[in-house]
Parts: sequence; C-alpha cells; structure tokens
Amino acid sequence: MSWVTIVWSMMAAACLTLAGMHLLIGCRQRKAWGNVLFALVAVAVAGMAACELWMMRAGSPSEWGAVGRWIHVPAYVMMLSLVGFVRVYLRAGWLWLAWAVVGVRSLALVLNFVFSPNLNYREITSLRHIRFLGESVAFPVGVPNPWMLLANLSLVLLVAFVVDATVTVWRRGDVRAAIQIGFNMIFFVLMGTGQAILVLWGFVQAPITPSVFFLGIVAAMAYELSRDTLRAAELARDLGESEQRMTLAAGAANLGIWIHDLQRGDVWASEEWRALFGFTKAERLDLDRFLQRLHPEDRERFRQARARAIEGGGSYEVEYRVVLPEGRLRWIASRGGVECDGAGKALRVRGVSLDITERKEVEEALRESEARFRTMANSAPVMIWMAGTDKLCTFFNKGWLDFTGRTPEQELGNGWAEGVHPDDFDRCFETYSKAFDARERFVMEYRLRCHTGGYCWVLDNGVPRFASDGAFLGYIGSAIDISAVKLAESEAAQQRNELAHLTRVTTLSELSGSLAHELNQPLAIILSNAQAAQRLIAQSPPNLAEVSDILADIVSEDRRAGEVIKRLRTLLKRGEIAFAPLSLNETIEEVLHLAHVDLTARGVGIDRVLLAELPRVDGDRVQLQQVVLNLVLNAADAMSANAPGSRRMQLRTACRNGSVRLSVRDEGCGLPADAESIFAPFFTTKPHGLGLGLSICRSIVAAHRGRLWAEPHSERGAVFHLELPANAA
Amino acid sequence: MKTDAPIVYVVDDEAGMRKALTRLLNAEGFEVRTFASATEFLAGTSAGETGCVVLDVAMPDLDGMELQRRLTHDGVPTPIIFLTGHGDIPMSVRAIKAGAVDFLTKPVNDADLLRAIRTALSLAASRGDERDRYSRLTPREREVMAHVVAGRMNKEIALDLGTGEQNIKTHRGRVMEKMKIQSVADLVRAAQRLGIGTAPGV
Repeated sequence: MSWVTIVWSMMAAACLTLAGMHLLIGCRQRKAWGNVLFALVAVAVAGMAACELWMMRAGSPSEWGAVGRWIHVPAYVMMLSLVGFVRVYLRAGWLWLAWAVVGVRSLALVLNFVFSPNLNYREITSLRHIRFLGESVAFPVGVPNPWMLLANLSLVLLVAFVVDATVTVWRRGDVRAAIQIGFNMIFFVLMGTGQAILVLWGFVQAPITPSVFFLGIVAAMAYELSRDTLRAAELARDLGESEQRMTLAAGAANLGIWIHDLQRGDVWASEEWRALFGFTKAERLDLDRFLQRLHPEDRERFRQARARAIEGGGSYEVEYRVVLPEGRLRWIASRGGVECDGAGKALRVRGVSLDITERKEVEEALRESEARFRTMANSAPVMIWMAGTDKLCTFFNKGWLDFTGRTPEQELGNGWAEGVHPDDFDRCFETYSKAFDARERFVMEYRLRCHTGGYCWVLDNGVPRFASDGAFLGYIGSAIDISAVKLAESEAAQQRNELAHLTRVTTLSELSGSLAHELNQPLAIILSNAQAAQRLIAQSPPNLAEVSDILADIVSEDRRAGEVIKRLRTLLKRGEIAFAPLSLNETIEEVLHLAHVDLTARGVGIDRVLLAELPRVDGDRVQLQQVVLNLVLNAADAMSANAPGSRRMQLRTACRNGSVRLSVRDEGCGLPADAESIFAPFFTTKPHGLGLGLSICRSIVAAHRGRLWAEPHSERGAVFHLELPANAA
Repeated sequence: MKTDAPIVYVVDDEAGMRKALTRLLNAEGFEVRTFASATEFLAGTSAGETGCVVLDVAMPDLDGMELQRRLTHDGVPTPIIFLTGHGDIPMSVRAIKAGAVDFLTKPVNDADLLRAIRTALSLAASRGDERDRYSRLTPREREVMAHVVAGRMNKEIALDLGTGEQNIKTHRGRVMEKMKIQSVADLVRAAQRLGIGTAPGV
C-alpha cells in the first residue's frame, strides 16, 4: 500500500466531507453564503489533491503536462472562493484588491489553456523519479514558462488582500477571527506559494503539493464555521428556553400572545389569547374575525391606532372592549409592535393582550365614588376643603368657592390664605401648621373675605385623613359662617355688661348707707380737726405745732375720702370690659374695704385665709369685684339672723390644677334643697332685690372661662366657690 | 368751772375721730379720755368720777346703744351724747328715751357738740347732788319712793307694806322734802335718772 495514495486520498475525502456538510448548511439556511463558499474551497482543495496524486503517478511527460494544466481549474475556484469568503464572512478586504486577484488569476487561467503543455512549462522534456514518503514519485524536467509569474502575482495579491482584511478585522476587535482565519490564510498561502515557486522554477526537486497547505486553510475555516454552528445551536437552545419561560410567564400573567403575518394574512395566537377573546383552540383566526369580537364603539379607534403603527413601522397600545360569544363584556389592553423588512415594508405585527376588566371596574368604581363625593361635597351647606400631605390645599367645594367668590385656581395650594384677615393670619397659620405636624384635629375661628369683599367669621374644623394601612393622606375640613353667631355673642356680651352694670348699681345702692358713712367719717374728722385748729390759732400764742399736725391729718383724711369716691366711680362706671392679669387677693381686699363699714355695722367678722403666692388671673377688675362683693354681701345677709357674736365669714384663696379658687364660707341659714336654683334669674330672698345678683355673677364668671357654684358647709351655712383659670404667663 | 375738772370720755373705734375730738375739746379746756371700744370704756372707768360720754353708735363687738343699756342697768348716771354717721329717727328716739342727752350726726358742728357737752356735764353735776340726797333716805323711805314712782296710791302702798296710810303719807312727805322735789312727776324723772326701777313685786 502506498502512503502517498492514502494521504492524498484521505485529504480529498476529508475536504469533500466538510464541503458536503457545509453545502447542506448553506442550502438549508438562507444567506449562509459563508458556508457555501467554504464548501467550494473544500471541493477545490479536494480536486487539487486528486490532480497532485495523478501528477505524482504520471507515466509520461505529456500526461504530467495535461494534469498540470487541469490543476489550475480547482486552484482558480479555490482562490475566487477564498476571496469571496473573506468578503462575505469577515466582511473586510479592499474590493479593488479582490477584483485584482480575480482578474490576474482569470488571465492566468486563460493563458494556462493557451500555452502547451501549461502555464508552468514551455516544454517538459522528461520525467524524473524521486523518493517521497518512501516511494518513487514523478517529477518533470523542462523549461519553465515565464508567464508563470502571473500565477505567482495572483497569490501575492491574495496575500495582500488577506493581510488588509485581517488588519481590518483585528482593528474591529474580532482578534480571534483575525488570528484563526486571517493569520492562517496568510501563513498557508505564503507556504504554498513559496513551495510552488521553488519547485516549478527548478530550484528544488520535489513534487508540488499546494493542497497540503490549503488543507490547513480549510481546517482553520472549518473550525471557525463549526464554532458558529455550535453557537447557533446554543442560541437556538437558549431561545427555546427563553421562549418557554416567556410562555410560562405569559400564561401566569394571563397574557395572550399573538402574531399577525401581514403577508399571508393569518394570525397565530396563544391559548391564553384565544381564551381571552373567546376563540376555540382549533378555530382559524384572521383580522376580520378578530374585529368582529371588538365592541362596535371601539373598532374604529383600534383600526386607526393599528393603521398608524403599521404605516410608521412603530408600535401601538390600545384599550378596548371585547364582546364574548356569551354576550359578556371584557376589557382588554393590547400592545402591538410592527416588524418590517429592510425596505421598511411591514411584515408582521406581534403583540400581547391583557385582561384589564377588573382594573377598569375598580377605576369605574373609583370614578363613581369620586363623582359621588364631589356631588355630596358641592351640595353640602358647609364649606369643605381638602389638603395633601404637604399642607397644600387640593380641593374646595362649591360652598367654599361661592362664599369666597374665587376660582379653584385662585384658592388651591396656599391661595385660600390670601382671604384670611391679616390680624388672624399668624394665629391661623400657627394652629394649622402645629396641628398638621402633629396629625391632630383642630378647630379655629378666623375672618375670611367673602364674595362681597367684607370679612365674615368662620369656624373651621380640620381632621387628618389616614389610609387603611395608617398612612397619612392629608386633611379634610369643613368651615361654617359664624358671623351671625359672633354678632349674637357680642350682643349677648353687651347685654351682659349692661345687666352687670345694673346689678352693680343695685348692689351698691344696698351699700349706700355704709358708703355714706365711709365718706362721712373722713368728713367728720376733717371738720372737727379744722374747728379745733381755728381755736388753736385764736389762742395767744397760737399753737402752730398742733395746727400743723392737724393739717397733716386733714390731708390724709381727705385722701381717704377721695379713694372711696374713686372706687365707687369705678364700680358705677358703665365701662368697656378690659381683661388684664390681676390678683384675686387684691380684688378681695378692695371689696372688703368697700364693704367694711357695712359689714361692721352688721356685726360681721371676716377671716382671711389668702394664699400669698396666688397666681394671677385674666379678668375684668370691676366685674370680678362685683362678683366678690356679691358673694360677701350674700354671706353677710345669710347671717343676719345669727346672734351678734356668731356672724363670721371666711374668705379663702387657693390654687390647684391651674385654677385659682376663692371660697366664701358663711355660718348662715344655708342653701335651699336645690342649690342651683339660687343662680337662676329673679331668685331672691330680699324684699327689694332684683334677683339678678348671682345669675349675673355666674354669667360674668362664665365669660371669664371660670365656674361659680355653691355647696352646703358640713357644719353650718354655705360655701360659695369662684374658680378662674390661672394666667399661664 | 368746778374745782375737780369734769372729764369727757370719747368712745370711738376710729382713731382719727378720737384725735380730732380730743384736740377740739382740749382747746375748749375739757379734760378728755379716749377709748377705742365700749369694752375698753367699761374696764377703764370707775364709779365716782363725774363726766359725760361722747359715744359712737356703730362699733364692732359692743355698739353704743348696747353700752347705754348696760350703764343704765348698772345704775351709772354718766350722761351720754351719741355721735353717729348714719343715724335715723327711730334710733335717736330710742336713745333719747333711754336717757341720752343728745343724738348728734357726724360731721358734727363744734357749737352743737360743745353745747351738748356742757348740758351733759351740768346734768352730771346735778345728778351727783341727786345721788347724795337719795343716799340720805332711810331704807323705808326708799321703799316708799319706789312705790310712789310706780304710780301707786298711798292706800295701796300701806296695804303692801302692812302699815297705816298716815304713816305712808309721812314717809312720802319726807322723801319729797329730802330729795327737794315738789311734784310726783319730777320724782319719777329723778328716779329714772338714778336708775331706780319700780318697786319689786309690783
């Protein structure tokens, strides 16, 4: 058995096998030109191997010459295929160089058939036999043909073309392809070219075996292509998996998937999609059948959206109703993407469809409840507002807008605050902010400009809103116009003051006797002193030292009378109410001073248990004096039936829980069974009393945010308590 | 004036008033003693001193009217002048009926006050004589006098005392003579001034 025969046959067989495989791939896959060109290269190399084998076994110079001519055909095919492969597969290489290679080689092929015996020899004189792989092979002896240079040039051009392509590929970053294909091609082409030149020009005596070198190129190309095939297989597997995953996900999300082939007009859709639209598995689908399912009102809208997308090659998204065969309505959200060919012609539309009936129902319910809220809010007889978590107002009802006479745009955000009276603004803002930050409800009164341009008092009530999970949503509030209430309040206050004045005058008139005495006393002292002084001056010598003392006493007594008159005038004055911090202890002392004579005349003794560190209270001095005076005189009245020695009254002040309390205790006749009745208007025990004393006292105390009440004392008599809030400052 | 200067007692709870009256009365040559309350007055005076009281009506604890009642009850003959800030007619009538010399309202005019004081002092002096005369009566004569001022007839008195009518007549004559009094009416007034009640058992 000959090794040369075995090796060359196997080379050819291997090449043909590879060629067959890649031709198959090339035929099955459109545009797999790389594989086809590779198959051509491999077939050519196989042909070259066959020719070489023949040449080595040639029996005569003419036989060798003939085969030497025919070997140029596979060589030609191989070179052209290599150039094509580089252009197609590597997408590189100068085009003019490629054409140059093709042109030169074609010329060489033509000349090959012009010359005899072939392009390489002008003539072959004899065959020599040399030892090659342990056997004798034929080798020509003759005159080389100078036109052989043309073939050599084509090989050099091929090398240049491949070098350029390799550099381009390398620069492009595809280093592996550059080495695998480019470097291999350059290396093996140079080797083959070198051997051919050395042998054919007669420098070396050896059989020419370019196929061996080109087999290297074939092997490199085959390796590269098989990697591609392998990768494609992997991709296909991955794609299959991802498709499976997507189908699973789509199924889980109840997504219907569909593809509409615009060329063929048929529609493929997943089972989920068919279920969504009420089609059976086997039913044939097309656009018309699909459109039949759409709610008539939504058809045109869908058509337009789809047409726009197909025209522009983009995508569309549309929500529509589907009328199922059983008559039920279903809301569908559909999204489609148009795929185009290279020329921009729409080929198919792919898309997904989703059942959004539930969402639509929720939206509808929400819209309905929103509408209901607005209707309610707008028809409510109060002003309603809402604010978001950022304190900015987001809603005002019709009542509010009618009241202020402004537009929602003017009021929203912080716009409403423009209508708040400047004097109330800071207080309002503070209340609102403080409550808002603490998420607490608040109530505030302020003046708000109404549509007439004037200000009206409103009572505003704000409540924080929370979601079901406890998240803070903002505030909702209602405001009512309380101008009428305010007016009534101020009228009531006016009346209360009038009445207070009236009862004060009445009370003082009860005291008039003792007040007269109170004035009389200093006058009496002054008169006696003055008359004594007249005598002392008339003496000789006049006792001026004594007179000077007398004058000092007269001055002090005159002042005392003045004080009494001043105090009386204050109480009798019909003055404005003026709240100011004052000491209840001082008020008590002033009252006792005023009532002193009367109490003395009635034989009433006073015990004071006054707390030294008593906090001040906010109040009107005159009105509080009136209350205390009333309590003191009532206590004295209650004891009028007592024996002269047992008419003691105790006044005690105390402070507890932020309140200041005065307790007036008497040892008198006590309270009626219904202690509250004494505070009723026109309740009186005196023949000439108005019966308004305690009633007006209680309303005065209420206006001071205090309390006035009576309770029986455990031993004897009654205790009246006056409690006022201590001044916080 | 008398050898032992008459004393004017001023009882008033108001210090300024006491001082002013003291100045006025001192300037008129009276000796003045002041008291801040009725109780103080009762504790600070002794029987036998002659004088008059200028008394404020409205005073804590014991008022002027009450003091007058006590003095009368104890048989102290000191004449009283009331001074008041706000006197009314019923009060003044009650005071005068109970033997007060005068009932003056504050502010008081010096002339009115001095006139009242002088009247009171002369009354005090005469009351001092009357008391002397009364002390010279025998127990039997005092008994008869009490019956007489109670307005009883001689016969009734004789029956009560268990003696003859003539006897009573003699005692009565002696009482009138010793007290230097002419009419029964004067005797009644004197008895009143002396604080002698009507006879016991009548």
